[in-house]
Formats: sequence, structure tokens, C-alpha cells
Amino acid sequence: MSVISIALNEWARLFLSKRGWIAIIAFALIWAIFLMYVIAPAARYISSQEVGLVLGSLLARFGANALNNWQSTEMALYWAFALYVLPFFTMISAADQIASDKARGTLRFLILRASRTSVFFGRFIGQYLIQLFIIIVTMASVLALIGYHSAESLTDALPEVPVVFVNMALVLMPYVALMALVSVIAQSAKQATLFAIIGWIVLWFVLGYVQNNFGPFPILDWVLPGSQLGSLVRLSGWDTLNLAPIPLLHTVVLLGLGWFAMNRSDL
Amino acid sequence: MNVITTNGLSKHYGSVTALDSLDLSLESGEPIALIGPNGAGKTTLFSLLCGYIRASAGTATILGHPVGSSALNGKLAALPQDAHLDPRFSIQRQLRLLAKLQGFGGSDARQEVQRVLDTVQLGDIGAKKPGELSHGMRKRVSLAQTLIGSPELVLLDEPTAGIDPPNVKIIRDLIRSESSNATFVISSHNLDELEKLCSSVVYLSSGKLLESGPIDASADEGYLTIRLPSVSEEQFKRECLKLNGVLDVQRQAQGDYLIQHTVGHAVDQALLAMLAKNAWPYRHIIKGRSLEDRLYG
Repeated sequence: MSVISIALNEWARLFLSKRGWIAIIAFALIWAIFLMYVIAPAARYISSQEVGLVLGSLLARFGANALNNWQSTEMALYWAFALYVLPFFTMISAADQIASDKARGTLRFLILRASRTSVFFGRFIGQYLIQLFIIIVTMASVLALIGYHSAESLTDALPEVPVVFVNMALVLMPYVALMALVSVIAQSAKQATLFAIIGWIVLWFVLGYVQNNFGPFPILDWVLPGSQLGSLVRLSGWDTLNLAPIPLLHTVVLLGLGWFAMNRSDL
Repeated sequence: MNVITTNGLSKHYGSVTALDSLDLSLESGEPIALIGPNGAGKTTLFSLLCGYIRASAGTATILGHPVGSSALNGKLAALPQDAHLDPRFSIQRQLRLLAKLQGFGGSDARQEVQRVLDTVQLGDIGAKKPGELSHGMRKRVSLAQTLIGSPELVLLDEPTAGIDPPNVKIIRDLIRSESSNATFVISSHNLDELEKLCSSVVYLSSGKLLESGPIDASADEGYLTIRLPSVSEEQFKRECLKLNGVLDVQRQAQGDYLIQHTVGHAVDQALLAMLAKNAWPYRHIIKGRSLEDRLYG
């Protein structure tokens, strides 16, 4: 029960605060610019037969020719863009799950009424639901764009919606879990984002060093959150779910570490 | 019934011992004062009891349940020293969440929040954000959250620190009126205030328990404390020492005089007569010593 109350309160923290609205408006503006000046013109450009052929061979060179398999060009562009951009937005918007409440002492009021586990997982679930909402809103905007240009294209795009939604939901999950972990350690949302980025870069260097000097160890290729993205963009349709265990495993490990840190930390 | 029991409770921060093998047993009833100098371990003890920090050794139970047990939800309430509500949201919204976590439903939570805000005489500020309130009002709101539901034990860490006298009086009156419903344990440096509210004391120093139990009435025998403004110290001491049975007169730091006399002599009557004869107006006379004199005198 307390997990649900805490999760629902995350929505209030986003929609009832000035900081939350600034983040929403900033993201909406960036997304609108991307939609109008990147997806729409690029889709029209790629759809022309000559450019499509050239691009097809280019994508094949980079191993991303699976993008050609998508029925809707706009949806394929959304997929390629969202895979790499939404995780960054998640690292900013989900950064304050615990940090500022812990620094301010607000968490002390909650802990007397709900376990640390409830607070930690309640905040994670609330933030994850917000990320799902963002996926739905951004996908809806792309569908609206497609429908505005051609109802026929919308029919092509609709079957791809569940594939993209499920995959984006899986992709973002470990990033929300990562921010849950670092926000337990950090003193503020900004610090949490900084910790996540620095931690990611340091781990990337360490893994690279280990692979170069002692490897190769294939398993280490999958350690970093998002390490499956390069492979994911090469797949299409429900084949993409072949990589689903990786983000799920990342999420379990990160949540386990975060839960441990939450239960051990002084408030 | 024991509200707090600790056995060998210790907390170390590296080489620093904040609390050293504390064995404590406090019973429900009248408010209990938790006193001691800075660094005595008062806040550490509260933090351990509330589950904010983990003990290095030993155990603690509250109302018969281990610290951190879900059975304490709604039974244990606390006003931590440096905890603040989120400045981004209204008081009402934040207290409503706390009430919901204690098991109140939607409309019940709303009513309960209004009740506790009314209790701290802030019934009309629910829609405001913490930043719009004075320090004293924010403290009263923090006190209000301790009253949600019907807690059996309320821990207050420095509830009146840095607060103006009108707010101090409101908080003190509130504790006095609510103490019939719950056991209050109050940590403060203001010993005068604690003496007015509490009937027993836990005295910590350097992380160790020095004293625990009811304020000993027998320790008051043979002492009178008088507040006497605008009278020369030398003159008063000279006249006082002439009284039959008076052994010593000391001027205390806060301006009061502590008169030590032989037990059994009715010095108070003679003292009043002497004051009347010299036309010296006094503010108050207390039989016995102040808590401060008893502990540090």
C-alpha cells in the first residue's frame, strides 16, 4: 500500500512543482523541434527512391540496415533517435528519486511510516511510470505527424507501435534503476546525474582496459547499461526482444545495489 | 509499560564513540527529558531509535518492537532536529501523504491533516508552502506531523531551538496538553523548559548514561531558589545569611539566588518576612534547586 502511495506521489512531484513543469516544457520544446525539423523532413527525404537506395547501402555498411525493414520511415527514425536520446532524458528527469529528500531530511518523516524498501521501490516505480508516459507521448506525437501527412502511412506505422513501445520500455528500465542507485548516494539531483555519467564513463574505460589487456571476455560487452543498443538497432520487429534479458538483468542488478545502499545509508 | 528499552546500544563513527553501551529502560507516562551537553549522544540516540542510523552494537526496542519494525507505523512519531518538508509542495499535500502512509484514506487523511494543523494553531496555512512560513511556524508544522493518528511515543529533538518566545509557549502548551495521550521524550538544552514539562530525566554525557529516572524530590531539600531583580547582591547576601538556618547564598548565572539551609528549618517564612521588611520585590521563590543547578551546580 505504501509503495503505491509513494509511486503515485512521484507524479505529483513532477506535475505539481515548478521544477517539474520546467523539465516538461523544456523536453516538449526539444521534442517539437526534433519532430518538425528532423523526423518530418528526414522521412520525406528518405522516402524518395534514389535517396532511399543510397541510404540503404550506407545503413548496411554501418550494420543498421534493419532500419530499412520498418514499414514506416518516421517510426524507424523515431526508434533510432529515441534509443539514444530518451536514456539521457531519463538520467536527468529520474535523478531526484531519493537525493534531495535525503539531504533535506524529508526522508526522515517518510521512514517512520514506510520501510526504506517501500520508499526505494515506490520512487523507482513512480519514476518508471513517468518514463512510460513519456514514451507514449513521444510516440503519439510521431503518429500524429504520420497521420497528418498520410492516413495510409499511419496504417503502416500502427503495427510497429507495440514493438517500439515494449522495446523502449525495456531500454529505459535500467536507466531509471541506475538513477535510483546513484540518487541514494548523491546529495542532489544534479550530483546524481553527474555521478551516473562519470560512473558510466569510468566503467567504460575500465572495461575497455580489461578487454584490451586481459580479454576478450564476451560477457563484459554487456556490462554497461545500454550496451545492447548497438545490437538492437540492427534488429527489427519482435526479433528485438532477443536482447530483452540484458536490460532486465541490468535493472535487477542496479536495483539490488540501490536497495542495499538505501538500507545501509544513514539518513 | 516500557516505551524504550536499550541493551548495550553503541554507535561509533570511526574512532569516535557517539554512544557507549547504553542500557536504558523508560516507561510510558509523563514527559521524559533527555539532556546532556553538545556531543553527549542525544541526537544519535534519537536517530538510532527512529531507525535513521544503524547501531554499531547492542539492541533497542520501542513499545516492545525492534527499531524499524513495521508494527511501529503510527505508534512512533518523531520531530528530528534538522528535517524539513519539501519546499516545492504545500503543507497540506505533504502531511496528507504522511497520513496516507499511516493508513488514512483520502478524505480521512484530509480531515486528519486539518485536525493536526488546528492543534498547532495553524489551521489556515495548509495551502502554503514551507518557504512561506516563519521558522517557528515551520517547527510547529513539523510538530503537527508527529500528532497524525494517535502515536504512543513521540520523540522531540530540540523542538524549541531557535524559536521566538510566542512559538515556544505554543509548543510547550501543546506538549503539555498532548502528554496525556502519548509519552513524550524531549531533548533540549533549555533546562528551564524541560523542568516545566518533564517529571523524569535521562542524562547523557560523552555517549554514556549518567542518570536516568524521576527527578528526585529529596535532592531539593535544604535549598531555596529566589529571583530578585534590582537588589544589591552584597546587601541581599548579608541580610540572608543573618537568617536562622541559612548556610550559604550563591548568585547563579541566570541571576537567581540559590540559598542553602539546614534541613528542617522553615527558612522560607523567615525569608519572606525579611523581603517584606526591606521592601524588596521578588519575582518568584522555588522550593529546591533548578534542574540546571542539580545537574551542573
